[in-house]
Amino acid sequence: MATFINSKTIFRLLVLPCLLLYSSIAHNSSSVEATMHTNNWAVLVCTSRFWFNYRHMANTLSLYRTVKRLGIPDERIILMLADDMACNTRNKYPAQVFNNENHRLNLYGDNVEVDYRGYEVTVENFLRVLTGRHETSVPRSKRLLSDEGSHILLYMTGHGGDEFLKFQDSEELQSHDLADAVKQMKEKLRFKELLIMVDTCQAATLFNQLQSPGVLAIGSSMRGENSYSHHLDSDVGVSVVDRFTYYTLAFFERLNIYDNASLSSLFSSYNPSMLMSTAYCRRDLYQRRLEEVPVTNFFGSVMETIHTDAAYKALSRKDSGRFKAQMSLDQSVHHHERRTLINVNDQDEILNTKAEDQQGASTCPFTSFYEKLRKGENVDSLVNYGLVAMLPLLGVSSWLFQ
Amino acid sequence: MTLLQRPLLVLLLLVTHHLLQCWIAFGSVDEEGQKQEEFNEELLLKPLPDRKVLAHFHFQSSAPPSTSNGRHHHLFPKAISQLVQKFRVKEMELSFTQGRWNYERWGGFDPIASSNAKPPGVELWAVFDVPQHQVDASWKNLTHALSGLFCASINFLESTSTYSAPEWSFPPSSGNLRYGTLPREAVCTENLTPWLKLLPCRDKAGLAVLLDRPSIYRGFYHSQRLHLTSTGSGSKGTDSGIILNQALTVVLQPIQPNGLRASMDHASEKHIQPSWSLSSIFGKQVRGRCVLAKSSKVYLQLDRGLVAELKRIHKENEKSVANGLTSENFWSYPSFELSANPDRIVIEENSLHSKSSSILYNFQVEKYSESEPLDLGLTWKIPVVWLCQSAPLHSSRFLMGSGNERGAIAISLKSTQLREGFMGAFADNERCELRVDVFQVVPWYVKVYFHSLQVFIDQQPKAVSDVIEKIHVSPSKDKVSPGMMEMVLKLPCRVKSAALTIEFDKGFLHIDEYPPDANQGFDIPSAIISFPNFHASMFFLEDGSVNKSPLLSKFQEKSPVMSYTEVLLVPLTTPDFSMPYNVITITCTVFALYFGSLLNVLRRRIAEEERFLKDKATKKTGQLPLLLSKLSAKLRGRPWEPPHSPPSTSFFISSKLVFKVILVAGLAVGWQYYFS
Repeated sequence: MATFINSKTIFRLLVLPCLLLYSSIAHNSSSVEATMHTNNWAVLVCTSRFWFNYRHMANTLSLYRTVKRLGIPDERIILMLADDMACNTRNKYPAQVFNNENHRLNLYGDNVEVDYRGYEVTVENFLRVLTGRHETSVPRSKRLLSDEGSHILLYMTGHGGDEFLKFQDSEELQSHDLADAVKQMKEKLRFKELLIMVDTCQAATLFNQLQSPGVLAIGSSMRGENSYSHHLDSDVGVSVVDRFTYYTLAFFERLNIYDNASLSSLFSSYNPSMLMSTAYCRRDLYQRRLEEVPVTNFFGSVMETIHTDAAYKALSRKDSGRFKAQMSLDQSVHHHERRTLINVNDQDEILNTKAEDQQGASTCPFTSFYEKLRKGENVDSLVNYGLVAMLPLLGVSSWLFQ
Repeated sequence: MTLLQRPLLVLLLLVTHHLLQCWIAFGSVDEEGQKQEEFNEELLLKPLPDRKVLAHFHFQSSAPPSTSNGRHHHLFPKAISQLVQKFRVKEMELSFTQGRWNYERWGGFDPIASSNAKPPGVELWAVFDVPQHQVDASWKNLTHALSGLFCASINFLESTSTYSAPEWSFPPSSGNLRYGTLPREAVCTENLTPWLKLLPCRDKAGLAVLLDRPSIYRGFYHSQRLHLTSTGSGSKGTDSGIILNQALTVVLQPIQPNGLRASMDHASEKHIQPSWSLSSIFGKQVRGRCVLAKSSKVYLQLDRGLVAELKRIHKENEKSVANGLTSENFWSYPSFELSANPDRIVIEENSLHSKSSSILYNFQVEKYSESEPLDLGLTWKIPVVWLCQSAPLHSSRFLMGSGNERGAIAISLKSTQLREGFMGAFADNERCELRVDVFQVVPWYVKVYFHSLQVFIDQQPKAVSDVIEKIHVSPSKDKVSPGMMEMVLKLPCRVKSAALTIEFDKGFLHIDEYPPDANQGFDIPSAIISFPNFHASMFFLEDGSVNKSPLLSKFQEKSPVMSYTEVLLVPLTTPDFSMPYNVITITCTVFALYFGSLLNVLRRRIAEEERFLKDKATKKTGQLPLLLSKLSAKLRGRPWEPPHSPPSTSFFISSKLVFKVILVAGLAVGWQYYFS
């Protein structure tokens, strides 16, 4: 009996290093996640067909205009409009779409670029755009060419229900489909962070199945609630905007590209009594604190500028084809986390040669290890390394206990 | 001295070089006779008989074949040249149209009507310079590329069931031709903007400034067209030359600046045509040319009917003016007034089959500037009524039959009174015949029976073989290819009306193949009716300026008169899309109820059940120890889980392990403490 138990413990001891190794690997992969935010993409989807759904197109175009104003270029916006409202024969104002009764702003403008329209807006095409699985002949302008440094804004509006969103009034996108697509995107390193914004009835239910890290989701209403339109334009003859989008725009109209408003201020700006529904935000998959994330990280194309003097005094080493840029050693400058640049090839070359001939000593792994240790960074990984190093001791102890 | 001379020499060289460059730029021909890239912009305005105004923008960019240029372009859009190089397009035409050209009122015989009037939606045809077996692949890739370029769903034309390969009825007859239409494609700003981006000045300068989106799309008819021909790509080393013609035709209703619509309707009884100007129809004025354009011209055209009418009025009013009409005094007629003085007047050479010739007033945009914009306007002083010249036969197409099972397509051709004028030209022939080409594509779900083709001439049925000289039919294959019909009809010249009918059955689509708005019906694309005996071309007096104008030289090209028929809307049987769901749920419920109760009745043994319940009641006390022992066995298997109430047997093992973990953790903490 005792030997049996002991053989079991030994087995467990063998499992333990594997676990420890795994955790250290996981830590490495989490440092991959810490890839810098390098670009912004937006996928804006209006899923409703027919004239009386004018407001859904106006919603989408309002968001389109906002993200364009805040700096995302047209080639990084995938705009899907399920029907043609601007040149619809029922539209009294041809080539114009308004989201307000005052008609002060023509959302369609002179320079709108619609990537998928009409019958092309299907669940299949939507999932293809997200996962990047296209036919070879599909042009670049219709693809989401994001990478592991991308922040993606996914905005959807239309008619929805409990865990689904209707496309074109004929097919549905289920919450499982969305979660699977997002998971696939995560596996393919197609985004760093993803903000899903949905303005439909029971929007929050669409996020139930999401499980990929780095995803933040906000919906216009909880389960069992409807999302309502904001007001009717009697000239156009239909409702022109939904409440959730209206108040989102009201928030953004005050902002310009240099503003530092955070996502939490956006989320707290939704007033349930004005919305007539409860905006729901799912943030358990998102690591960063919302107070620290500016809205322009998703709705604009504002990258965090990192002042680095690495080109002059590089403290660096090459690590499996990857260049780790050490931030300035000054602790007073608040750099909370080490940033990793991936595939900065040109800098890589320059810095490698410099590092090799100037700072031969610092390239020694132990020195850099000690350097890290001295600065108290990465305590977790060090503990893991320590535990791995303890393995022989553990083996000896278990042998002694026998 | 020499030191001084050298800079002088260099200066001289530089000056001559610059001069040479200027000379090249203006003369567009350099020493080797190689042409430079060119861009021309032109606008033609024309009053229409039904109180509307036609505006026809024509932009031509050309890239000559060259070896030196390589892939570099100065003016020519790179996107288009890449398209041509990649897919080896020999000739291509893409049009986006909204509205239908009114052949009766707006004319069907002039070059604009016959080559710029297009069917609603998207029409694309292309000729490829590739081997026969690669044509379909090239077509597929081309449609995708164009859909990305022009923000439209042109990629729906990739499937073989949407395009066809006409053999001889479509004008540029060639084996490598593919033709496809999307009648329901929406046309809006997002299609126009990329089209404008192909122009070197975009819509920022030149004539394209006028293209204000809301005023264009408010029009009755709007067609944007892109036609390209690549020339001479014989050897592989040279890039082929490309001529890109971009044309935009709009029919607009002038907005009266001073009166309401209601008052104008009263005035219309007196047939005073509305006065208009560029700023009243587009809301903008021409503020100078696009500086990259070689020429920038605005034309005002008075068509043949209008000129004849004006002449008549003139003769009535001023009988004293005996001498014939000359171009110098014509525009100063009291019947209308132009807001700007034309730079020259081009008169069409009188063609043999029309009474009068049209007149073009030419305005050079170079003369106008920001401070002095060109706001060309036409103010009518007297009421004028005229008719536009229409095609020999007016064609229309309609559906016959009722019900959701079968129907018939009819193409009716009616002679226009104008044809009497042509009779003179053909009357001397013993057997005068009018040739009509018909080209029609029907989608596969409209199953046409070609044997049921019937021909009626002047309401009398005729034998098909008497009238149809040549016919080519490619029947449709279900879900693979559309049906196509090409015909050459020989009609007697004095024909009043002719009709073709053909019957069809409506097919069934798979439930997934229905579009989201299936109840709206399905479109049968426009048929093309062409009259190869008649040419819609205008001839101008041989003049250097005419040849320099791409628009006028386009008008001079001999092209057959063509017209498109209406798009037909066929209602197909559409299923109740929620029916399968309803049926499945109801049947499942019924089955479950039936089988469930049946099984219950058959399998139930009441006495047995009672005994079992009694047994259970007695066993209830004895089950707890069993459960506990099971739990302990489970816990023994995984002792590291937080034990709620760990049994004494497994306590020793778990404590041993906990001790080990604490040891390791302690060592690790010690390690870290030591190093920090």
